[in-house]
Amino acid sequence: MIGMISRIVTSSPLTTMAESASTQVTCETTMKAIGRPGFILIDNNIDPDTKKYAAAKEFLYQATCLLLYAIFVVPLFKKGAFKVGKKIFKDHAADFAKFKNTEDYLRYRKYAEKPFYSDRIHNNKIDKLFNDELRTELKTKEHPRMFNRIKGTIELGNIIGSVLGLAVLAPQVSHAIIHPCLRAIGMEQKKPKTPKQQIDTKA
Amino acid sequence: MNIVNRLGKICDTLGVNNKATYPVMLIALVKGICRPTFTMMDKTEKPETKKYTALREGLTEIIAIPTYWACGELTAKLASKFKFKKDMPADVQASLRKRASKNMMFIGVCVAALFVIPGLCSVAIKPIMDKFMPQNKPQKQPIKEPVTNTVPPTLKRPAMNTFFAGKNVVKPMVYNNRIPTGMKVGGV
Repeated sequence: MIGMISRIVTSSPLTTMAESASTQVTCETTMKAIGRPGFILIDNNIDPDTKKYAAAKEFLYQATCLLLYAIFVVPLFKKGAFKVGKKIFKDHAADFAKFKNTEDYLRYRKYAEKPFYSDRIHNNKIDKLFNDELRTELKTKEHPRMFNRIKGTIELGNIIGSVLGLAVLAPQVSHAIIHPCLRAIGMEQKKPKTPKQQIDTKA
Repeated sequence: MNIVNRLGKICDTLGVNNKATYPVMLIALVKGICRPTFTMMDKTEKPETKKYTALREGLTEIIAIPTYWACGELTAKLASKFKFKKDMPADVQASLRKRASKNMMFIGVCVAALFVIPGLCSVAIKPIMDKFMPQNKPQKQPIKEPVTNTVPPTLKRPAMNTFFAGKNVVKPMVYNNRIPTGMKVGGV
């Protein structure tokens, strides 16, 4: 049993997820979207109608965050960070030049992090995916170069994007989206407009 | 040291070890500052409602920051309990243990977001809010004592919907010139 758990916990897909800031934030926001409304609904000290309203509002907020993050933050900051890093870090320009883009580097990193050297030697995908220099690195060295500066640049871009997207942009966007959505599902009524008092100009 | 060098150092650190707790804690910190600020800037709400909402949002994030850290570090320590095959080389075992530690931290952060933080918030926030803003505390209504009067209620006589029903109906005066004996014909 412990062996099986160890295998799951040390698996490559989970490691890829755990090492990427974008996946971490996506998973965390999804958990929030489930957990927070769930705990509001099981609270017995709140009125049932208020509970439903608060849970729906919280779910919509987290869903907005998730959508915004997937559409705006991940593509822009993840890809943008690599390009910015290439320009800023001139002492590492040669390292950046080895890779075409973010995806290309992350693919390399996935193979380089494999703990068993034998997994790389007999892997035919490596021959197709990478250029001669990177192929030699992966196939001939037991501990290939990781290019940590590139990885750090991508992750820093992800973190900055996550903070800007979720903490600054999401509250503004959700404020505009949530109330019409709540009205659409019948949980909120439109506030009646109070007629403006006309000034009697003849007086 | 200029900005580029500092950024480079941060990137190197993140490249070697990007803990799952870093982004979530940073997001919680910035959210804890920005969300209450935006709420207070909203001109459509009442000042008391704004204060209450802003304080609640701020408290949620204050609870979230240490919880993420604690859950992440605690679950990462569990990685040392995992056992690997004895014939495995020591450096591979060390590499796998490091991997397990990172992954367990990620699982810990997810558990914190799903169960621990919402649970802590639902338990801790209400008493804190009542302490800081007692005017928003819902007043307890006095319990109504049950009525012990056992006198049966007087029933009102039902109104009959007939011609001669009721007290105030004036009966027609009819002169009867017949002796009230013998057989009657006509029924007057």
